[in-house]
Amino acid sequence: MASYRHDDPDKLVVDSIHGDIHLTQREREVIDTGSFQRLRYLKQLAMSQMAYPNATHTRFAHSLGVFAIMTRIVEIAKKTGQIVLSHKEEEDLRLAALLHDVGHYPYSHLMERIDKVKLIEEQVKVGRETKLSLDRTGTPYPEHDLVGTFIVTEQDDLLEALGGKRRAKVIANLFGPKRPTENVRNLQLSKLVHSSLDMDRLDYLLRDSQATGVPYGQIDINYLLNNLKVSPSGMVGISEKAVPAAEQFLFARFFMHRTVYYHKTTFGMEEVCRQLLRRLRDQGKYEMPRDAAGIRRLVTSDKLGTFTDAYVDGIIQESTNNDNEVIQTLARSMQGRRPPKRLREINILRSTDDPNEHHAGTTFKMNCRHNLSQLAGDFDIPLEHFILCETPPLRLEKRARLVSAEEAGKIDGKDEEELIKVFVSGEEEPKSLVDISHSLISRCAGLSFQSFRLYVIQEDTTKGEVLAQLREKVKNWDKT
Amino acid sequence: MDRQQIGVKLAVDVLKLPFQVGTFRDRLIMQKTVYLAQAAGVNLGYYYHWYLYGPYSPSLTRDEFAIAMDISAGMDESEGWKLDDQSSKRLEDMRGIFADLDRDALARKLELLASVHFLIDHKQASHADSRRITTTLERFKKPFTEGDVKGALAELKTHGLL
Repeated sequence: MASYRHDDPDKLVVDSIHGDIHLTQREREVIDTGSFQRLRYLKQLAMSQMAYPNATHTRFAHSLGVFAIMTRIVEIAKKTGQIVLSHKEEEDLRLAALLHDVGHYPYSHLMERIDKVKLIEEQVKVGRETKLSLDRTGTPYPEHDLVGTFIVTEQDDLLEALGGKRRAKVIANLFGPKRPTENVRNLQLSKLVHSSLDMDRLDYLLRDSQATGVPYGQIDINYLLNNLKVSPSGMVGISEKAVPAAEQFLFARFFMHRTVYYHKTTFGMEEVCRQLLRRLRDQGKYEMPRDAAGIRRLVTSDKLGTFTDAYVDGIIQESTNNDNEVIQTLARSMQGRRPPKRLREINILRSTDDPNEHHAGTTFKMNCRHNLSQLAGDFDIPLEHFILCETPPLRLEKRARLVSAEEAGKIDGKDEEELIKVFVSGEEEPKSLVDISHSLISRCAGLSFQSFRLYVIQEDTTKGEVLAQLREKVKNWDKT
Repeated sequence: MDRQQIGVKLAVDVLKLPFQVGTFRDRLIMQKTVYLAQAAGVNLGYYYHWYLYGPYSPSLTRDEFAIAMDISAGMDESEGWKLDDQSSKRLEDMRGIFADLDRDALARKLELLASVHFLIDHKQASHADSRRITTTLERFKKPFTEGDVKGALAELKTHGLL
């Protein structure tokens, strides 16, 4: 553990990952606001504690960890002299790191993404003649970084702690959506916040690994940080000798996703919760915000402090008495920690260069769409008790190694910026790790992992026989 | 495809554009099309940052690839859906923006329209001040003249986007 110290420390907190973290008075005042303290009541890993009982650490602790890493990056940037930072700019960067997650929803990404959720009856063929209507007249829930900018620039306690609206906007702009009037300097500083070897991942891998007891997330953070460099344009990278540490960092992230974040119980419970919230929001129940405007009203009001995991827990509790049977079932599954049972899981590892988009996962989805309604009828199980879902595609890096100049022209600049960068000797600006031919990443970055799953919520857990029969029925649905 | 992705595919269909993401130009057209659709009041749910080529949404880029992959796997899940009438009407009203242009010209035009709209929408310039808009675009190394900007302002107004 290290000591993350900067000039003019006022207080320190001790963190289980980073050791002593020193804070200035202003930083402490920001931490002491109600808007920031809310993060104590948001679990970093949402439902993971259902599978890993110790995974109850919070966004609050993670935010302090990211702050600690930013403190160290600022020191490195100063030491190497590539970027000269004023005292105020240093503090702005540290505050941006501290506040980068202040806009998270209850249960994090779970609630943020309910507008993407498709209900099972919207996915399977049930003999509909008319098309389903997709209403896009209301604005879906905004992403958490935008919610964060609302909070930082509109909540009075943060405005006061940050020293006014003008500064609050500068800080929000460093971690939130970018605005066009930024000068080159601000863009440079924001790269320090957003580069791929970003503080967010460095902290959450270590913290999540420690809390879950899953060792795959362990990374050599000290070696990575000790080998960080900053280019004149503000790109953060590592020196070439740290390539193995960076490779291990990317593999750690991959393994943590497969093992922890996509865990069958966690992912299943989170999907049940998403479906529950989506159905309740459609019903207009429990004062759930209907759209982006409702979210903005809530997070900029004095009710922000109630917008925590307990907000969702309360909704779950209340909806166990909902007059809709499906909602009741979903809520009881959550409340009683009765995770949906996995009937079938198809795991796919494919090359993103593979022109054939058909694979066992797509075949499985197709068969579910065509046959699930019949299966539900045969077993007298409500169709809505089935959960068909897929994990987001998981890659080591955002793109594969470039093999031609033509491909180089197709790169999106934003994605390119977020790749891990390596300073090869003699070069002032770094190149992407994925383009270093001796790196394992250059060979594996073109692979994508995805998991396709079918679950059923089984209220009566004594019916193990039914489960076995269902599994038998769907066991070949991944084959044509 | 999730619901948000289905919304994008339906919007692109109403505009009668091909769903292509293979090249940078294709993705630029897709990014700016969705931006302008949202500016017209079709809330597809993407939040835009200012980037090198104007308004840009990283989450839309991810969704574009996911949609394209599903389509090429023969799983166009948008087929069972339709957009609400109000959103469809808004999109139909802006079809003229996309008419009679090759892909290069369309990409350039959409970049200009979306950038000008973003600057005005984010209060970086007034829609009456074409000079200021042009100067701001120049600062970001955009090859657009004041005449281009005036044309864009007129077109945005014609289609009810300003």
